Amino acid sequence: MRGRPGLVTAYRRDMSILPTTTQRVWFFSFCIVVAGLTFFLSDDLASRGASAAAAAIGAIGLNLVTGWAGQISLGHAFFLGVGAYTAAALGGESGGPLIGLGLEMWIWLPAAGLVAALTGLLVAPIAFRLRGLYLAFVTLGLVFIGEHIFREWDSLTGGIGVGRATAKPVLFGYDLSKEGSFAGFTLSPEQQYYLFALIVLLVMALFAKNLVRSRTGRAFSAIRDRDIAAEIMGIHLSRSKLIAFTVSSFYAGVAGALIYTFIGFVEPRTFSLTLSIVYIAMILIGGAASIMGSIMGAVFITFLPRIVDLVAGVVPFIEESPSGGFLTVVQVEQILFGLLIVVFLIVEPLGLHGVWIRIRNYWKAWPFSY
Amino acid sequence: MTATQQRPRSETPDLSFSSMPAWLRANAQRDPLRVGLREKEFGVWRETTYEEYWDLVRTAGMALRALGVEPGDKVAIQSENRLAWVVTDMAVQGIQAASVGLYSTNPSAEVEYLLNHSESRVLIAEDQEQVDKALKVRERLPHLERIIYIEPRGVNMYDDPALMAWDDFLELGREQLAAMPGEFDRLVDGIDIEDTATIVYTSGTTGPPKGAMLSHRNLVWTAGEARSVIAGTGDMPDRAELLSYLPLCHVFGRLYDLCYATATRATVNFAESIDTVVSDLQEIQPTYFPAPPRIWEKMSAGAQIRMAHASPIKRLAYGAAFKAGMWNADRLLQRGRRGFLGSVVHGIGWLLVYRSLQKKMGMSMCRQAVSGSAPIAPDVLKFFMAVGVPIVEGWGMTETTAMGTVNQLGREKLGTIGEPLPGCEVEIADDGEILTRHPGVFKGYFKNPEATAEAIDAEGWLRTGDVGEWDENHVRIIDRKKDIIITAGGKNISPSELENRLKVSPFVKEALVIGDRRKFISALIGIEFDVAANWAQRKGITFTTYRDLSEKPEVIELIGRQVDEANTDFARVEQIKKFRLIPKELDHDQGELTATQKIKRKVLVEQFADIIEEMYS
Repeated sequence: MRGRPGLVTAYRRDMSILPTTTQRVWFFSFCIVVAGLTFFLSDDLASRGASAAAAAIGAIGLNLVTGWAGQISLGHAFFLGVGAYTAAALGGESGGPLIGLGLEMWIWLPAAGLVAALTGLLVAPIAFRLRGLYLAFVTLGLVFIGEHIFREWDSLTGGIGVGRATAKPVLFGYDLSKEGSFAGFTLSPEQQYYLFALIVLLVMALFAKNLVRSRTGRAFSAIRDRDIAAEIMGIHLSRSKLIAFTVSSFYAGVAGALIYTFIGFVEPRTFSLTLSIVYIAMILIGGAASIMGSIMGAVFITFLPRIVDLVAGVVPFIEESPSGGFLTVVQVEQILFGLLIVVFLIVEPLGLHGVWIRIRNYWKAWPFSY
Repeated sequence: MTATQQRPRSETPDLSFSSMPAWLRANAQRDPLRVGLREKEFGVWRETTYEEYWDLVRTAGMALRALGVEPGDKVAIQSENRLAWVVTDMAVQGIQAASVGLYSTNPSAEVEYLLNHSESRVLIAEDQEQVDKALKVRERLPHLERIIYIEPRGVNMYDDPALMAWDDFLELGREQLAAMPGEFDRLVDGIDIEDTATIVYTSGTTGPPKGAMLSHRNLVWTAGEARSVIAGTGDMPDRAELLSYLPLCHVFGRLYDLCYATATRATVNFAESIDTVVSDLQEIQPTYFPAPPRIWEKMSAGAQIRMAHASPIKRLAYGAAFKAGMWNADRLLQRGRRGFLGSVVHGIGWLLVYRSLQKKMGMSMCRQAVSGSAPIAPDVLKFFMAVGVPIVEGWGMTETTAMGTVNQLGREKLGTIGEPLPGCEVEIADDGEILTRHPGVFKGYFKNPEATAEAIDAEGWLRTGDVGEWDENHVRIIDRKKDIIITAGGKNISPSELENRLKVSPFVKEALVIGDRRKFISALIGIEFDVAANWAQRKGITFTTYRDLSEKPEVIELIGRQVDEANTDFARVEQIKKFRLIPKELDHDQGELTATQKIKRKVLVEQFADIIEEMYS
């Protein structure tokens, strides 16, 4: 109803993702602006943007299982690895001992998600029996097992210190890694990656948004808030947790496949506990149980090195070279990383999303304060 | 002496329909899918189209016929505003019977009086509470045969044979409708326009309530004048939204939710309850909004209190916008429009503050807001004009089907009740009493020819009981004729003017000015508990009850300041010299207020005689 956003005549409207025209207009304008950036970003920024978008997919996945379903998972790195190597095996070139089928992206990208999801499905039963800290520890174990497999399976991963080239980003004969042109603009590979990652992110973010407002999504939240109460209300705990882990792993798989394809190279030691922590940081800083928060967190963490670089240019005692000065850029980055997690947990547990909500409420209540 | 002045009669009034049900039928045929009614249920507004609305009316009408209701019989309704209310009202009128509305706050004794006086044969009761009221006095209600209850909770345990559930009632109607499909339409077509459509009981600030009989002509003519009344000029907007929260048994509520809504094919939204009006308003953002001064006072006080709690930047923005708005309001009042500069200022203010403020108050889509049913303080009107709500004051009464005078947008005069509406003749008698004559003037009081003769003279002029004077084309009301105070010094004083000035303060809920044949003017004041409690908490004053808070010296001092401030607007002899706080919250149940929350002077003066005497001793 125009001009009457509160006049809700059906529950459908009440639950819709973009209930009012104003919100729709803003959303589409935002999408257009972000996509339009493709033509203006430098290769360096476009490449980071592509990574950020891909990482956002992974962060949404983690948020589904941890933010919504409340199952703490430290094993996200493992699923990212599964996705990355599935993609490499299916889409990469074979050479020497390496497996590589050289398939197209429309096969290896969903396959990366599916194989990761299958792994998630196998792991999920652990979560039926454990929760909280115990679940965190078991998923931690998963990372170690995964790391070991990746190190030792040379024909898949190329081995420690060697690594391997990843899948070729060829979609229906179109090679994203070669320069292309669109509407008179010449697009560099990085810019194409950026645009492609954005599209995948949009699709997957919308799917996730749909999932969390569905019956299944509400079941996730119920389990998070109190699993016993949820069970009494008739929610099938094991089934919901199974779905949460499987879908989350699917997202991780797709993210892993995309990120390392854009980089072009993957080394087995990448998928360590640190990577899992980075993803947890993304959803903590971005905001638990929020799609937009996951995206904001992923973008923030991915661009953190750039931000530190900028700061280093201004602040005298931070040196860019690894050996000189009082602090190096890498050190500052790590300190900042830790500091941010602490600060956000204490000051704004809802993360960047919470900050956004706060700003929005300030203007929503205008000219009152409540 | 004031010269009498007369406004011309309008062109032939639109009486193409002989009754409101006939009009509703035309709506259902012309625009069947337009939403006629909305009722909130479990968080969403359930819609009823005009076609479904008409179908319900026919069903209910046939059910009443099946229960033996004959033309000329009376059917009473005691319920909060809801879909069943308007459906029953239309159905009763459709079968040539007359509807009688009871306030849901009417206590058992009043229910007994009203049902007996109106000789109602069927009562539509909302829920267990209302059913109980009727059952309590059941044996003293010789005319009552049936009680239909709308909410079954609690009532379905009762085994009184007179009781019937709303759903069963409709089921009966459906069977009857299937058996005699054309019967209801035949009855509607046979309505005599002069017959009584409804009896509206006046709230009775003195004596027992009197039943004003409104004919089909009264309602249809009033509805037909809708365009000129609420829209001023121009066509009705495509989709007008109304919020039904004014009691439907009161003529003001009936005017909008039945007459205007049908005449303009608007959508009537039923508020969930009187407590949720604020949030309902925000959701509905009505196109037209009628309200008594109490609501406007509360809204403006509420905005100011919430503003006081806002952050400094917000206060600054609001303060600036409000000042600009007041400046603009003065321009509007002087010239009738803002002019170029004023519009620019208003535009900026709208972007910064007014727009969001209006949204919070539910006034963002409002084309015309009307204050009526009691005099409003000019300051309150000005507040709304400042923030861009097109508000006007109007005047009407039960006996005139709420038609009378209204301020036209652009020609407003604060402190007046506006110009006579087209078709309404207004005259001021030699003794100052306002007289009016138009097709909306009622038929007479039910079973009370003496009172009728007293009210309407041979030429059809209605004595309104209000004393007023002309201000060019506008009418200014001085007070109710019987309320005017003559002090011991011989000075005529209008208590309601003082009382309304006092009620501008957010801390004052009720005010009763006393001074008839006394040496000076005094007042009894009831505090607004929520606001005063909030104030006391911030000041660190501890209190327990309403009475306790009213007795705190700090609170008395606070009200004293409000009185002093109000006094500055009046001449010395008119000023309030002493006041006392009323130690309890006034209540309809205890007979201190009428059902429309007006104070009953006589009752209060008797009840608080000791406090009053103490002021004058």
